[in-house]
Amino acid sequence: MKLLPTRFLPERPMRLPRLRPYVPQPTDPPIFWFNSERDDIVREVVRRIVESKAQSGRMELVLNDVAYHEAERLERQRDQESRESLGFWRGVLRRVGRMSDAEKKETLRSITEHMVRDIAGNFDARVYSFATKAVPKLLTGVMSPSKLHTALREEHPKALDDLLITEGAIDKLQNLATKGTLVFVPTHSSNLDSIVLGYALMRERLPPVSYGAGKNLFTNPIISFFMHNLGAYRLDRRIKAALYKDALKTYSTVLLERGYHSLFFPGGTRSRSGLIEQHLKLGLAGTAIEAFARNQTRSIERPLWFVPTTINYALVLEAETLIEDHLKEQGKARYIIEDDEFSSIDRWVDFFRKLSHLSSACVIRFGEPMDPFCNAVDADGHSLAPDGRKIEAGSYVRHSGQASVDAARDAAYTTMLGEAIADRFLRETVIMSTQLVAHVLFRAIVAATPGTDLFGRMRHKGDIAMPVDRLHAEVGEARDAILALERSGFVHGSPALQRDPPELIVERALQFWTGYHTTPVATYVGAEVVCEDPALLHYYGNRLVPFATRIAPENLAAAAREIAHMGHRS
Amino acid sequence: MTLRVGVVGGGSFGRGIATAAARAGNDVVLWSRSAQTATSTTSGVRTDESSVTESSFRTSGELSALAGTELIFVAVPSPHVREVARALGAHLDGSHLVVHVSRGLIGDELRTITRVLREETPVVRLGALAGPLVAEALLAGTPSGAVVGSLFPEVGAAVRTAIAGQTLRIYTTDDVAGVEVASALVGMIALAAGFALGIGAGPSALAVLCTRGIAEAQRVGARLGARERTFAGLSGFGDLVAAVAGDERPEIKLGRALAQGKTLAEAGHAAGAYIEGVSIARRVAAFAEHAKVDAPIAATTAAVVDGRLSPRDAVMSLMARQVMTE
Repeated sequence: MKLLPTRFLPERPMRLPRLRPYVPQPTDPPIFWFNSERDDIVREVVRRIVESKAQSGRMELVLNDVAYHEAERLERQRDQESRESLGFWRGVLRRVGRMSDAEKKETLRSITEHMVRDIAGNFDARVYSFATKAVPKLLTGVMSPSKLHTALREEHPKALDDLLITEGAIDKLQNLATKGTLVFVPTHSSNLDSIVLGYALMRERLPPVSYGAGKNLFTNPIISFFMHNLGAYRLDRRIKAALYKDALKTYSTVLLERGYHSLFFPGGTRSRSGLIEQHLKLGLAGTAIEAFARNQTRSIERPLWFVPTTINYALVLEAETLIEDHLKEQGKARYIIEDDEFSSIDRWVDFFRKLSHLSSACVIRFGEPMDPFCNAVDADGHSLAPDGRKIEAGSYVRHSGQASVDAARDAAYTTMLGEAIADRFLRETVIMSTQLVAHVLFRAIVAATPGTDLFGRMRHKGDIAMPVDRLHAEVGEARDAILALERSGFVHGSPALQRDPPELIVERALQFWTGYHTTPVATYVGAEVVCEDPALLHYYGNRLVPFATRIAPENLAAAAREIAHMGHRS
Repeated sequence: MTLRVGVVGGGSFGRGIATAAARAGNDVVLWSRSAQTATSTTSGVRTDESSVTESSFRTSGELSALAGTELIFVAVPSPHVREVARALGAHLDGSHLVVHVSRGLIGDELRTITRVLREETPVVRLGALAGPLVAEALLAGTPSGAVVGSLFPEVGAAVRTAIAGQTLRIYTTDDVAGVEVASALVGMIALAAGFALGIGAGPSALAVLCTRGIAEAQRVGARLGARERTFAGLSGFGDLVAAVAGDERPEIKLGRALAQGKTLAEAGHAAGAYIEGVSIARRVAAFAEHAKVDAPIAATTAAVVDGRLSPRDAVMSLMARQVMTE
């Protein structure tokens, strides 16, 4: 089988030459060993897939499926990759019926190996070391060139530290990272998420994580270089073949079995509407349960914990495209957005310039870790029953004393885990001042336009205003209600929200928006604040939808119910 | 294959399950509160020898006796589930499978019992057993059937191993909420049906009431995450047919007694058991009003139970409603 083209998938990301390989130290996180284990991991993934298909007698089916879907994709793509690979797939389709079992197995093995090699990431300790030291300084430089001078001398530049606040169970996680595998499952609003979270982990001395990034993120060569060399693996959403999904799942399972700390966005894609994600399918994150069960069947006691994390931005880089996409209800059709703000350097510069004058633009909150069966864990990672008693996580994959791997059972555990993480997202969300102000303004739009649908409301650009005094009063009231919810274990307020008087909260929110978003979001006109862009107010305000009815005063209860109802529909 | 089976609750249903499981060759231990009382009153001190053999299964007054089992049936009335679950949970871990047979939904937000079990115990592999199964059928081994709702296939399989046989068909579904809501609301519809029988309604009127009752249960169930078609199964229509066909259901007795003009207290005494249908009618009516779900049968039943509506006015008010498409 030499027909498989060398460039099965396009553009392999760039790596540094291996002159003096880094020798990992015993105290280094697992990912520092990744490169020495990569070939072994790829072999293991390929072996598992080929064996399972051969045993279930489905090789021919799988080969037909992958060849059909790849040929179809390449016929549509009409690019360099098509010219190189289309012939191969058509050949497979023609010949698969006549192949002997040995030929089928070899063809399947070689296709799978190419796929897994394309998925597998790289970890370069030199790039990690460089990123640790230089990236924060460079980011500071972009944001405010005047501060670059001092930033170069500081380990963690103050300007960046002010911008990003980290809170939550950090001490506990630092301890657990040395005892087992951490699986971070954050909310997803921006392509910056993985970068910002990566930086936060670095700053809080939490281990670097392995994660899957959509291939579209690799289109920017600089981002691609860092992502690839910092352990990210590539997932190509264009490939529809079932074999590719198997390859991704098995790759992720093997990484988790071997104890690589990982990151998955359980919502799958960025929240288009700005709502906190509530219907989590988990996708690859579900492989953690299988990985845990597999280790248990081999008597490997490697605990694994999920860390629900919220990434809360005062200003979202891609807000305009995301909400437009949501409103057009083209979420599916444009699943891969390639032309948004993330790929535009101008927008990046605007974004970071804007942030340079402000502080606490992003709050990352690490929630309490839980075991794969949704149990709380103590400081040393022991699973806890509801009565606080220590129980063994391994018991959940045992029945009649025997540990097993059971796909149907693990799918049920995954469903429950998805619900538990969604619930924790609500509790761990940090409300930012822009979100609160947007919610109050959008609520005013809803109240002023009874009987109008969402799209009708989007047309009210600049014709609904709120007296500044009333805005301050309602913002103050909503803030107090949010803080009361925080005391009863729901949601959190950002430090600025906790600290500042309503006047300053409104002032800050308008400052954040002005100058970054291409159209004004809300502006002062005399003694009034005018709602200029209902779509963006809707987007930022949506973060508060789950709490809408609980924070609204009596006279706005109807508007709040309507807003809550919008959340149910999406 | 034999299982180590535990049963929580020494009522007739608990004993029925224990008997059926023991008959199938399983190793069965039943916990009951009365066994606990008996042990403590007779000896005065707690002894390790709290287990006594009764017929083909053991009875114990200590929940710790259930720690070594693989599958546990919880058969206590729904108002006691939380308290019992909390005490039971202290002896369990993730390896246990727990199935409840309690008819009911808890509190004003109509929480399912599996949810309460999840909150109070470390067990995740939970299920609900419901349908036209009655204690007598379990004890005597007469033909019957039931459905197990669980997300976990091994739970349904274990229940089959424990109690299914030539005379008992156990079906499975993954719609846990559906089974639990259907089972609880059938209790309420049976109460209304008993009431209709008591005022002399004919087969046709009874059929309309039951059918519209199930439609109402489906609407309420949808709000609680249940799938509509589950209500057409054993936990919904199946159970209701058994109740109306005369399986001596306490709800029917209570409804009849109310129709004869007895007060709730007198009627409850006549029916002789804890009746979920009474409290659930009020809570479903309140929940439906809040959630803007149309639930006329719940509202009317609640009004009758509370003495706000006479038997005749209740029927008239249901018949006078505007007729919609089915």
